[in-house]
Amino acid sequence: MVDLYSPTPTDGYGTPTSALQTATENLIASHILPAGTGLQPELQKRFHFEFLLRNLRQGFPERYVSQDASQPWLIYWTLHGFSIFGAGLDDLTKKRSIETLLALQHPEGGFSGGPGQAAHLLPTYAAVCAFAVVGRPGEGGGWESINRKKLYEFFMSLKQPDGSFLVSHHGEVDVRGVYCLLAVATLLNILTPELLSGVPGFLASCQTYEGGFGNASFPGWAFETGPSNTYDPSAPRPPLGEAHGGYTFCATASWVILRSFIDLYHAPASPPTSISLPPAPRINTGALLRWCAQMQGLPIELGGFKGRTNKLVDGCYSWWVGGCFVLVEALLGVGAHHESPIEETAGEEAGHKAWDDVDDSLFNRKALQEYILLPGQHPAGGLRDKPPKGADAYHTLYCAAGLSAAQHRVVPSEPRKNAIISAWDAEQARAKDDTGLRTTSDAERAQLDALRRETFAHALSWTEEEGTALYVGGAGNRVNATHPLFNLTVTHTELMMAYFYGQTLPPRAAPPHAKK
Amino acid sequence: MSDLLADDSEWADVVPIRQYENVNPVAPIFYTEEYKDATDYFRAVVKSGETSPRVLKLTEKIIRMNPAHYTAWQHRYKTLVALKSDLEEELRLMDDLAKQFMKTYQVWHHRRLLLTAINSVDAAVLELEFLRDVLDVDTKNYHTWSYRQWILAHFNNETRLWARERAYLEDLLEADVRNNSAWHHRFFVVYASGIRLGDEDREQVRRRELSFAKEKIALAPNNPSAWNYLRGVLEFTKTPFVELASFVEPYTAVQPPSASEEVVDLDNPLPTESAQLPCVAALEFMADAYEKQGGDATAKAVEIWKSLANERDVMRKKYWEYRIRDAL
Repeated sequence: MVDLYSPTPTDGYGTPTSALQTATENLIASHILPAGTGLQPELQKRFHFEFLLRNLRQGFPERYVSQDASQPWLIYWTLHGFSIFGAGLDDLTKKRSIETLLALQHPEGGFSGGPGQAAHLLPTYAAVCAFAVVGRPGEGGGWESINRKKLYEFFMSLKQPDGSFLVSHHGEVDVRGVYCLLAVATLLNILTPELLSGVPGFLASCQTYEGGFGNASFPGWAFETGPSNTYDPSAPRPPLGEAHGGYTFCATASWVILRSFIDLYHAPASPPTSISLPPAPRINTGALLRWCAQMQGLPIELGGFKGRTNKLVDGCYSWWVGGCFVLVEALLGVGAHHESPIEETAGEEAGHKAWDDVDDSLFNRKALQEYILLPGQHPAGGLRDKPPKGADAYHTLYCAAGLSAAQHRVVPSEPRKNAIISAWDAEQARAKDDTGLRTTSDAERAQLDALRRETFAHALSWTEEEGTALYVGGAGNRVNATHPLFNLTVTHTELMMAYFYGQTLPPRAAPPHAKK
Repeated sequence: MSDLLADDSEWADVVPIRQYENVNPVAPIFYTEEYKDATDYFRAVVKSGETSPRVLKLTEKIIRMNPAHYTAWQHRYKTLVALKSDLEEELRLMDDLAKQFMKTYQVWHHRRLLLTAINSVDAAVLELEFLRDVLDVDTKNYHTWSYRQWILAHFNNETRLWARERAYLEDLLEADVRNNSAWHHRFFVVYASGIRLGDEDREQVRRRELSFAKEKIALAPNNPSAWNYLRGVLEFTKTPFVELASFVEPYTAVQPPSASEEVVDLDNPLPTESAQLPCVAALEFMADAYEKQGGDATAKAVEIWKSLANERDVMRKKYWEYRIRDAL
């Protein structure tokens, strides 16, 4: 019989990798709760609030100078961290946050890492998401001060022939940049076919033989730039960099966001069209799922996630890989919204058993929660990579988001999507268009409207599945659900998108069966 | 002696720009005086668009304090170009910085811009050498490997650049057969980026790569990197998984064969005495081979997935159960 907590086998052939792995297992395993004591892991919410609050009120210590070009990130990690932990923000904090964020908007479009710095896709995502948490329509709310026209022009100025985007002028190409751009364009209603053209092909070229995604791909053989821009579909477009958790999340979330665009603008088209369309690029979703599953650590590592094969578990991958599963499941067409009721039972054992029967998740949710709650929490507040490391703002957010993803199953709901489509007001959406894009025919206009409607409806169809929440250590450890595509609460996502698309969302239907 | 530009007469003509004017920023960072001073002057320089030798000094100062300051790097590059500076000299100046801050994107992207502008295979050769030194220290540095792959592809010189990669990788895997970055790089060199000079016989390459993967699996079977590589080669070359069944099966046994038992088959290296079996990756492989065969073999796949779910790889129980559902 296999011992549950066996260390990773080394086959009598030690190498630096296995030595580091063994040492890490020893550190992490010491956090395993002894069996039979009835001890339950406890989320020290108060300590984490205080950690976040200190950062917010007193500021960040000197070593955070390394984040001086990531100021919107510090703000987003902190503010959204509060959202996940269920804390509201006072009006003064919101006001100051909005003012700070506006100081990061670049006059030529986009947001930068700090005032006077160049605009960059990553801080742009962080700033817009922070706006979703603290902002609102109307005067002083910040949303109306986001210059979407210049933002769109900034995005287009970064576009590359192979479908990728530079992260900033003269910057690198990177899948994170693509995700940040797509998330922002979706939230702020500035999606256009010219913006998205070639992006699916680029993403697909970043998938490696392991099934996950690397940080970019090499365009030079397939895309000859010069006097005549040529494209050779038979030329290799190798991925650069091995499959990695962060890039895999970004590529997968991007792929889900692009589904409507792929369906509308590629063959086979639905509805069918006489326009000649390029074939739809594909990714290997089976291989992607396998890679994600392989990233979860063994019981001796408390089921935390790694970011790469043969590397160590790290709390932040709780979100980048743990949070990726529902996205992959959506692509596979599995685990869709259940309509049948799910019983809640009293005892922990019975509860887990019953829950196990209906849980469609393809990763070990219980173990991930244990990783975050046991080695993941820093005793002095904040969450971390792994012991004995200190807590930091980045790991605090991504451990919290990972905990959220393991507690709550937020999946696309077909009924919700259809309700949103039924309520779609095309004229209002058109009135909110700020890209300056001109369509040359009715068919083009209709396609563009469909792109926005479908993307909007899909994005806002993600809903927590009734009765599938699981709280290791009890409901006292509950954190709020977060949207799998954007890493914002569903509420914040809805409010922002409804505003920028000019839509009024239909009320959410009551659950079909009441909980007993 | 003050290190501040505010006290430096060379900068007397520039009015520094504070970061936040009329804004009480939320979640501020506690900068050192030196950093605040340098970046206040930098903001002024960005605004005026100055590209002079003193800007080179200033940007170097900033990036040494914060190597992630991408605007400082960008402006530095712009300045180097405007001054028609010796870019190879810049590369050498930046070597220390790259070694010190090797986990930062910007140090690598800067080198890439320089190498693109220098545009010589000689420089690329030197750069690959430099990267070996960096990888000596951090064998899995993500940016370094990604950059190495870009150099090889961009300059695309078979005899001077590509030719030595496989031998280099074999050394790395000799030192650590579990280095996934090295395995990935091998796939990049041999398959993902086209056909290497000397690798025109694709069947010979297929046999060579499979043989290499099998040999490494035999050394330490519980090594996901080697199995992923093996699977990658099979998928890429459209080789049916079942072709490797006789190699894989001994790794699914509950213990390694005793020394005398098996005849040595060089094509199918056996697990050593110290192999810890059964190897989960081998079980998974057989299940995949059965599933691909279909028909009656599917039941055998299901049996393996059940044993993985309930006994051998319980962490991934949900995944194995999904595989069962999906196959039936």
